[in-house]
Amino acid sequence: MNLFHLSGLNFQVSIQPLLSCHNLSFRWHPHAGLQQVDLTLHAQDRLGIIGPNGAGKSTLLKLLAGLLRPASGEILLCGQLLSHYSLAEKARSLALLAQDTEQATASTVFELVELGLLPHKQLWQRTDQHDQIRISQVLTQVGLTDKATASVSSLSGGELQRAQFARVLLQGAKLLLLDEPTNHLDVQYQHQLLQSIVSTELTLIASFHDLNLAASYCNQLLLLQQGKVVAVGSPEQVLQPKLISEVFGRRCLVDSNPFDGKPRVTFAPGACND
Amino acid sequence: MMKLLRPFRWLLLIILLLLSCLWCLNTGAVALDWQLLWPCLFDQCDASAQQQILLELRLPRLLLGLVAGAGLALSGALLQNLSRNMLADPYLFGIISGAGLGATLATLLLPQYAVALPLAAFFGALLAMVLVLGFAALGGWQRLDTVILAGVAVSFLLSAVTSLLLYQSEAFAANRVIFWLMGSLARADYQALAVITPCLLVCFALGCLYRRQLDALQWSDQTAQSLGVAVLPIRLLFLLLTAALTACIVAYCGGIGFVGLMIPHLVRLLFGGQTLVLLCGSMLCGSMFLIWVDAGARTLLPEQELPLGVITAGLGSLFFLLLLSRKGQRPL
Repeated sequence: MNLFHLSGLNFQVSIQPLLSCHNLSFRWHPHAGLQQVDLTLHAQDRLGIIGPNGAGKSTLLKLLAGLLRPASGEILLCGQLLSHYSLAEKARSLALLAQDTEQATASTVFELVELGLLPHKQLWQRTDQHDQIRISQVLTQVGLTDKATASVSSLSGGELQRAQFARVLLQGAKLLLLDEPTNHLDVQYQHQLLQSIVSTELTLIASFHDLNLAASYCNQLLLLQQGKVVAVGSPEQVLQPKLISEVFGRRCLVDSNPFDGKPRVTFAPGACND
Repeated sequence: MMKLLRPFRWLLLIILLLLSCLWCLNTGAVALDWQLLWPCLFDQCDASAQQQILLELRLPRLLLGLVAGAGLALSGALLQNLSRNMLADPYLFGIISGAGLGATLATLLLPQYAVALPLAAFFGALLAMVLVLGFAALGGWQRLDTVILAGVAVSFLLSAVTSLLLYQSEAFAANRVIFWLMGSLARADYQALAVITPCLLVCFALGCLYRRQLDALQWSDQTAQSLGVAVLPIRLLFLLLTAALTACIVAYCGGIGFVGLMIPHLVRLLFGGQTLVLLCGSMLCGSMFLIWVDAGARTLLPEQELPLGVITAGLGSLFFLLLLSRKGQRPL
């Protein structure tokens, strides 16, 4: 709901959320799974999913991407049930960067990025001049211009992650679902990648290990613990020292980042956990 | 050297293939006259014996070698990409042992009919394929690994039945089946070509159309799915296509191993791993390889033909040993 003030009159215009889900559940084990997740995301929102290992961050992302079928609940994308989208429509509307350990070692970086064209091409269509230009644009954006013809197996973990991100960008979806996007990346590229999303009109849902990166680049956080949503809201609301210490099982201190004023979490090292 | 030849490698390959075809036509138990080759193929020529040898023996055999080699290499390339398993091979799915069982039954029960052998081999291969896909469906289709495991299980089961039947049968029939299993192009005729060629063309055309989907499947099922690829239907489609193609080839040529496994590896080294390149390269290299092997089989021993499977297996193991020794320098 947005409130517009126009010539003294109040218009209440309801803006459709880009993505919403209600009562979303999934079982990956008889006694464990995601339970009753509700969330609403508007265009250009950036939602960070945080929580300890095994809390269900990746599962939630796969559910939202339509890769897993929820045990209950429904997901609405632009007001329509996600399950009613065709595969290609879904791929044009949302892009997922999963945490994959497998890689096609025989392909080049260019060929990997080119995969992003898949949902936009008919079976018989070729990769034309225009597509080539777009591919080199996204490669420039992630700083891999000089690696276009390099074999994927010769890349470092961070370079591969950036190449995968270029593929996701080329897919051209408005909603990005990124599972640990900053994994394997050097500090400079962590910030560069997230800043490149913030500076566009893309909507982001990403899982994070680094709570401070999540706080700096997301306007909403969702804290998961053993499949349950413990807290959801702005970084200031979610990153409460007591709550975070409880969920992560380690004493912590929350102050504000001197650069952007966002909450900053510092965990107690070593034996200082009492 | 390789860098210099890079832009011309396709042209080079095609010229090499054409030259190989001509050379193989001219090589055999009876040496033919080079100058008479062209007129005898496309025209009337004076040497009618030579024309008969060419048109009725060597040409169908050459063409069968071309399509069989291309088909086996294409199946191997498709299966390796689909399963992300570099050791996948058209024979891994029990097709050869199914065809073996069919051939055994035909030889033992209907020895008087020559047509029965390829037909029975084809239905045996089909039976193996149905069993494998059935077991894989029971296992839940999670990954192609399930299919490969089911293939290994079915292979052993059908081979056991075949061995039992051969053990109980007379030595002559057993000899015939075992020789057939080693592979040969001697059974070549235009009927075999009419069966295999359409299968090959359909496989190739669909492989080219779905090249992006197959490229995406090289990464992971998750990635492919998130890019809008219907993973399961595509996998099933290509599994059935390659199985049908291999079954046709095996029915006429017997078991020619290692082509489907080795040629895609070679092409990946020379041309790269993208689906379109891999499929075209595999077909060209596969057909060239098989006609050379057949030429060798016909001429290596005087007045005797070697089974193709013996030569391909020998060359195949040599190739993989070479690959193993240089793997330290450059990852595959």
